[in-house]
Amino acid sequence: MEIFLQLLINGLMLGGTFAIISIGLTLIFGIVRVVNFAHGEFLMIAMYGVYLMNLQFGLHPYVAMLPMFFLMFALGAVMQRYIIQPLLSASDEIQIFATVGVSTALMNAGLMVFGADVYSVDMSSAVVGTGMTSIGSLTINNGQLMTFIVSILLIGALDWFLKYTFLGRAIRATAQHRDAALLMGVDVKKIYIIAFGLGAGCLGLAGGLMAPQYPVFPTVGTFFVLTAFIIVVLGGLGSLHGAFLGALIIGVVDSLAGYYIAPDLKEVVYFSIFIAILIFRPTGLFGAGRGSE
Amino acid sequence: MNITQPQNYVSLLLLLLMLVFPVVAGSPFVYHIFILVFSYAALASAWNVVGGFAGQLSLGHAVYYGVGSYTATLLMINFGISPWIGMVAGALLASVISVFVSWPCFRLRGPFFALASIAVLEVVRLLVINQHGLTGGSAGLAVPLQQGVEWMVFRERWPYLVISFGLLSAALFVSWKIKNSRLGYYLIAVREREDAALAVGVNAVRVKLAAVIISAFLTSTVGSFHAMYFTFIEPGAVFSLELSIQIAMFALIGGLGTISGPVIGTVLVLPLAELARGWLGDFADGFHGFVYGVVLVIVVLTIPRGLVGQFGARVGALINRLPGYKEPETVQPSTSTLTHVQSETLGQPILVAEHLHKYFGGVHATNDVSLTLKEGEIIGVIGPNGAGKTTVFNQLSGFLKPTSGSVRIRTSYGEWVTPKSPAEFAKAGIGRTFQIVQPFADLSVRENIMIGAFMNTDDHVEARAIAAEVAQLTDLTDQLDKVARDLTVGGMKRLEMARALATRPRILLLDEVLAGLNPSDITKAIEIIRRIRDTGVSILMIEHIMQATMSLSDHVAVINSGSLLIEGEPEKVVKDPQVIEAYLGKEYSHA
Amino acid sequence: MLKFNNVSAGYGGAEILRNVSLEVKEGEVVTIVGANGAGKTTSLRSLCGLIPLTSGSIEFQGQQINGLQPHEIVDRGITLVPEGRQLFPFITVRDNLLMGAYKKTARKDAEKRLEEVLELFPRVRERLGQYASQLSGGEQQMVAIGRGLMSQPKLLMFDEPSLGLSPLLVSQVFDIIRSIVQSGTTVLIVEQNIGHTLRLADRGYVLENGEVVVDGTGEQLLDDPHVKRAYLGL
Repeated sequence: MEIFLQLLINGLMLGGTFAIISIGLTLIFGIVRVVNFAHGEFLMIAMYGVYLMNLQFGLHPYVAMLPMFFLMFALGAVMQRYIIQPLLSASDEIQIFATVGVSTALMNAGLMVFGADVYSVDMSSAVVGTGMTSIGSLTINNGQLMTFIVSILLIGALDWFLKYTFLGRAIRATAQHRDAALLMGVDVKKIYIIAFGLGAGCLGLAGGLMAPQYPVFPTVGTFFVLTAFIIVVLGGLGSLHGAFLGALIIGVVDSLAGYYIAPDLKEVVYFSIFIAILIFRPTGLFGAGRGSE
Repeated sequence: MNITQPQNYVSLLLLLLMLVFPVVAGSPFVYHIFILVFSYAALASAWNVVGGFAGQLSLGHAVYYGVGSYTATLLMINFGISPWIGMVAGALLASVISVFVSWPCFRLRGPFFALASIAVLEVVRLLVINQHGLTGGSAGLAVPLQQGVEWMVFRERWPYLVISFGLLSAALFVSWKIKNSRLGYYLIAVREREDAALAVGVNAVRVKLAAVIISAFLTSTVGSFHAMYFTFIEPGAVFSLELSIQIAMFALIGGLGTISGPVIGTVLVLPLAELARGWLGDFADGFHGFVYGVVLVIVVLTIPRGLVGQFGARVGALINRLPGYKEPETVQPSTSTLTHVQSETLGQPILVAEHLHKYFGGVHATNDVSLTLKEGEIIGVIGPNGAGKTTVFNQLSGFLKPTSGSVRIRTSYGEWVTPKSPAEFAKAGIGRTFQIVQPFADLSVRENIMIGAFMNTDDHVEARAIAAEVAQLTDLTDQLDKVARDLTVGGMKRLEMARALATRPRILLLDEVLAGLNPSDITKAIEIIRRIRDTGVSILMIEHIMQATMSLSDHVAVINSGSLLIEGEPEKVVKDPQVIEAYLGKEYSHA
Repeated sequence: MLKFNNVSAGYGGAEILRNVSLEVKEGEVVTIVGANGAGKTTSLRSLCGLIPLTSGSIEFQGQQINGLQPHEIVDRGITLVPEGRQLFPFITVRDNLLMGAYKKTARKDAEKRLEEVLELFPRVRERLGQYASQLSGGEQQMVAIGRGLMSQPKLLMFDEPSLGLSPLLVSQVFDIIRSIVQSGTTVLIVEQNIGHTLRLADRGYVLENGEVVVDGTGEQLLDDPHVKRAYLGL
């Protein structure tokens, strides 16, 4: 029982990390209606960015993630403006190829600049984000706990922004009915740029939050992005709450399957869930209403 | 294939030149590059059958490649079976797997199909790694180095060159065959507008499955060959997303859905990246991938139709100036399709709909509609916008299932049937047009009509002949070679009719074929509809242009708020107070 | 106030509007009628900047507005209540209405304006917290009109406001439009329910195949043979 509880906690904490990666992906899909295959490479860039800021200026990753949010916002906005926007009316294939191309180019650029080596932020002198907290015989990784908390706060903040501001309302309206939003006087292109920027910006935060636990290497994005795709589809593409729940589910599945089935088959379990969801319930488990088609 | 046509002999010559070049150059590196080019071009061509012709964007094609690699290698290691046999066995296995993988995924669109294909690839890769006992796990397998033709392992390079060239030729031949067959047209039809394809009797699932099976088979053979050429396989390299993306990318750069595109894309991009690797040494870690990515983005932003899609027509025209060019033969219009048949059943019911009800959520879109169309008759259906006329049409052609009620059709053998799917409705004799025109925009008018004609023949010449005949009837003869997207509104509406007519329907459902036409086009279209009826086709038409409805219809049915308001002779119907109210509002009828 | 000068427009090479000239004066109610496919909706969409003109020009309050982005046209005070309502399905009725006040100049008075709109549509008040997609067709039409009013338009346009509604609801919708007119807003209506529309309108234009064939006052048009032919083939 104790093992099970510990596994459950581990799973939920891992879910927090998955959530912070998935929020941006679901945001971008829900609004711009583009599946960003380069999402993983954006994460890689954020992680290198945090690593470099730590190395050069000694910034704690939790501090570095704030400038990183804005840098990633800018990167996302540029990607939307110069690559996605010209292709908005193009076919699905073309949009997919565009983001796949960006993904390939960025991943290999990472390889050229940093080589295949694995870098970790030096956390030895850091006070927060390291170590474990024990509750009875159960332990929680402090860094993961922080990630978990921030992902909840981030979803709360995004929720508030989308519900109670004119801009946020316009973003939701554009996602649901582009033409009608145009008729309300919404500058739809600008909305898309903001949405893509926000989605990428979330990864800036993710880069900082993950730095204490995860090393960075050129293909780190691929490792996480496939999981993020699963989560986002599971939760219903475009749904923030769905993405969070999906992340927790996959985190727990990961943790339990790794222990009770086999460590190298845990991904098979959740990829199988993914395929089943795509085929039998393409709107996701929680995607019955808003945001999903 | 007619060898004296310039486009054909130039293509063949270029291919042969590519085969001869490395032999003349002689260096092992050049050999290696060309072996890679041939085999990757074969992969890209095979992928193109699904990704291009069928428009299903698979990013998991490495599954079939890996199945080929592992099957051939394992059979060789464990049973001493020649990789030539292993190649065939692997290809068959890949084909079987492709059916199981793709069937459930066909309902997924665009990015979702791509994501599912990636997920399948990941699952297969992880399973292969997991089964260490059989597959050697993530460490991979070495191919036993037994030299000789039967083991597909050679000391020299040239036999590999020949084999890879053979694989490419096979892939190209198959692509060419598909492109010029009924299957090829059906694939384009399903890709571009599935509804329009269904309406002319295309079984979309079967067509897509055929493409997937062919593609998986070809991909797998290259996988087997590569295992023998590299003499080493590992899950990370063969079941790789990167490989899947690469071959898709070559096809896109060259031009999706073209025959030469995948080859041209590979020839241009692959050596570039390989050479860069040679020049730059260690720094090139990642450089070739970076080049791939950047080229892909540039191509997508500047020439999304690929090199061949963008420049193919112009280059083709240049090549056609070479000696030997002959215009395609003009085909005599057939006269079999639409000649007037003295029918003994004229005036008897041919299409009967009884008590149709249709609910969308809580909306009662069709409320107890019953209609009987008699053979040789024209019924006009009128009613305000949003009254549910098209919903009724969709039930009469199988695109919507009525919530309750039945649709029956009398076949040419005199039996009454109730078809299940749009394609079955088409085969039972229903032709239909769409209110919002659904041309296959990139195909010529002739090809559009031929897709309809293919319902009754798989012969090209016969389909062309039917197209020519139908074009005469619909005044499209001098536009046959025009691309459909360049037609005027009137032309598109006539093309809708022509495509439906080419299936030799006995019942034609016309959904607002006159809307948006100018007066002279309307007169023309009315004349055409009358001609069609005179060939023995029974017609049900939704029409707002009253002048047409009044002059053509034997009967007029008025639908309002989902139910049949009244049916009867045209003059009587328009004087009916209920009808006037439905159109003009209550106050007007009192005024 | 609004002027079409020899406007031609269409989609993908096909010209749907041909040389259309029309005019709406301040405070007037003008209607465009015609059969399906005659170009009524196209004329409104080109006015909103959703499709480019192939020739001619559109003027609003003396300034040329063709070529502007749709949101810039909304900023000038032109709002369309589109055909088929086009509400945002999965956001609340309240947020749908507030979206109507998105343009900068309307934002600060949005809450006040919302109250005024709710006065006009008491039934909508009960539905404020529900998703727009949960409303009946009639209620959705009320919200769509309300959303249009939220922008405090100088010119409010309706595209087939009676589409898909029962006769009783159609009368209600026209009563509401009448009260909007009385409050001084200039109105342009495209309708197939011409009985109601022509009684309400000061003037009307009949479109056939993308061209204006007749124009005149509402009553003149009600008796016009062209109108009867377009609708009933008489």
